[in-house]
Amino acid sequence: MIRPLRRLHERLHRFMAVPALLLFAFFFVVPLVRGVAISLTDWTGLTPSYHYVGLRNFIDFFQDRRALHALQVTLVFGLISPALLCVAGLLYALLLDNRLMGRGFVRTFVYMPAIISPLIMGYVWLLLLNSENGALPQLLHLLHLDSWYRDWLGSPRDALWVIIIVNLWQFVGYAMIIFLAGLQGIPAEVTEAARIDGAGYWQTVCRVTIPLLVPAIRINVVTNLIGSLAVFDVIAALTDGGPGYATESMSLYIMRASFNGHTGYATAVAVLMFVVILIPVSVALRLMKKADGDS
Amino acid sequence: MRKTPLYVLMAAIALVSLVPFYILLFTAMSPPSVSLADSGLLLRHVEWGNLGSAWRHSHMGRAMANSLAIMAGSVGISVVVSAGAGYVFARVGTWYNRLLFSLLLFSMMIPGIINTVPLYGLMKSIGGINSLGAMMLLLATGFIPQSVFLYTNFIRTLPRELEESAVIDGCTLFGAFWRISFPLLAPITSTLIILNAVNAWNNYAQSVFFLQSQDRQTVPIAIGRFVQTYGADYTQMAAAALIGMLPAVLVYFVFQRFFVKGLSAGAVKG
Repeated sequence: MIRPLRRLHERLHRFMAVPALLLFAFFFVVPLVRGVAISLTDWTGLTPSYHYVGLRNFIDFFQDRRALHALQVTLVFGLISPALLCVAGLLYALLLDNRLMGRGFVRTFVYMPAIISPLIMGYVWLLLLNSENGALPQLLHLLHLDSWYRDWLGSPRDALWVIIIVNLWQFVGYAMIIFLAGLQGIPAEVTEAARIDGAGYWQTVCRVTIPLLVPAIRINVVTNLIGSLAVFDVIAALTDGGPGYATESMSLYIMRASFNGHTGYATAVAVLMFVVILIPVSVALRLMKKADGDS
Repeated sequence: MRKTPLYVLMAAIALVSLVPFYILLFTAMSPPSVSLADSGLLLRHVEWGNLGSAWRHSHMGRAMANSLAIMAGSVGISVVVSAGAGYVFARVGTWYNRLLFSLLLFSMMIPGIINTVPLYGLMKSIGGINSLGAMMLLLATGFIPQSVFLYTNFIRTLPRELEESAVIDGCTLFGAFWRISFPLLAPITSTLIILNAVNAWNNYAQSVFFLQSQDRQTVPIAIGRFVQTYGADYTQMAAAALIGMLPAVLVYFVFQRFFVKGLSAGAVKG
């Protein structure tokens, strides 16, 4: 090979991070920085011109009832879902960690919904819950329990809880798998020793197992916080933000604002959403760092 | 028997997980006039025509081809660039590499939706709206942080001597990495391929912004639009949903253990 080429080739390994960093810079860092800049303007996204409006968009957000409602929906969904996922995932994992025949199959079934698009899964739940010919009202009718059924998705008060439950159903397997991996990392002698010292099952779980599962809890809490606070697909499928805008999350609100030509404003809401995600995630990380240090 | 209550609980869990899938199958495969209650909960008449009609009306063939292309492209790109970057972060410990690595890790906290609106202008300026290529690069970028993280950690466990001995034999370090080390990364590569392939296949929040023309739509978009158009035709909705999820379910059953391994990767020591 020609000399200069050969020397280039010898150094090529040092530049192997360049393609990844270029992609990351172009599709992530640049839009992030531009986003912060656009959030201070009244840009419509349609015309090339715009005006600098300072913090106007942010002030508008806090004065708009619909926007504040979206913030509330995001916080309710985004804080309750990870907690439920963690508790249910742990209970599932504790059960399926026992030597039971067929537990492999059950684990497979429980995790299956998590690999399917939340949008499609949301539509599947519409088949169960809709008031026209949903499977659930039909089943309740067969059992002469018609009075138990309400059109939950059509009720502003209940719809968000249905979404929370559907999301829990879909992703509990994810939490379970992570807890199962964590449980496998705990030597049997540790829990056995606690049992021999006279601790009951739940006492052992609370005092011995859970403290040793902090790394698994951390992954579950952080991943689910980020995913739940950014929730989009499952709401789009089940209620599309309705009835009215009762279940409109910040992500749906952002999308609509941007499709309606309020690009500057939508970007400002996205910046706020970043803060809404960052605060609980940092708090959770700090709390668990402490818990890890104590154990 | 002592374990009986546990078996009862396990059966209940399995039932809860599977019933929605059965309802989907029932609705998709039954004639619209047959209801669950009428047929005693059993699938008695299989109406294959539902699937064909949903396939045609939702332009599913086109959508599958688009989704497949985006999936293959984004996963391929992210594996190659992330493995390379992982090598640099694992082997070249300069201050800026450490800084860039922490920056990538931090970015995992930022969901894609936050960037979507400013990205729209950027995509427009590079002709990236309704472009499968731009979508591949965009999704690949989303996969980079986690992939780099896993590759870096894994490469650190490989002995440097592997690459160094290849250099003595006349290879460059670049060649040594791709020929000697990269094949040894197969377990992590296969895990990342599976996890990210599913993410790419399921992506909705980005595709709904950037792939709006009908001949560029992906599977979730096709199903979403189909449901919005056909409204409450639950048979058609179910048939489309069944078709859309089938590839993911098949892949899941074939490659199950990779899913579990990938998810568990960070669970033991975080």
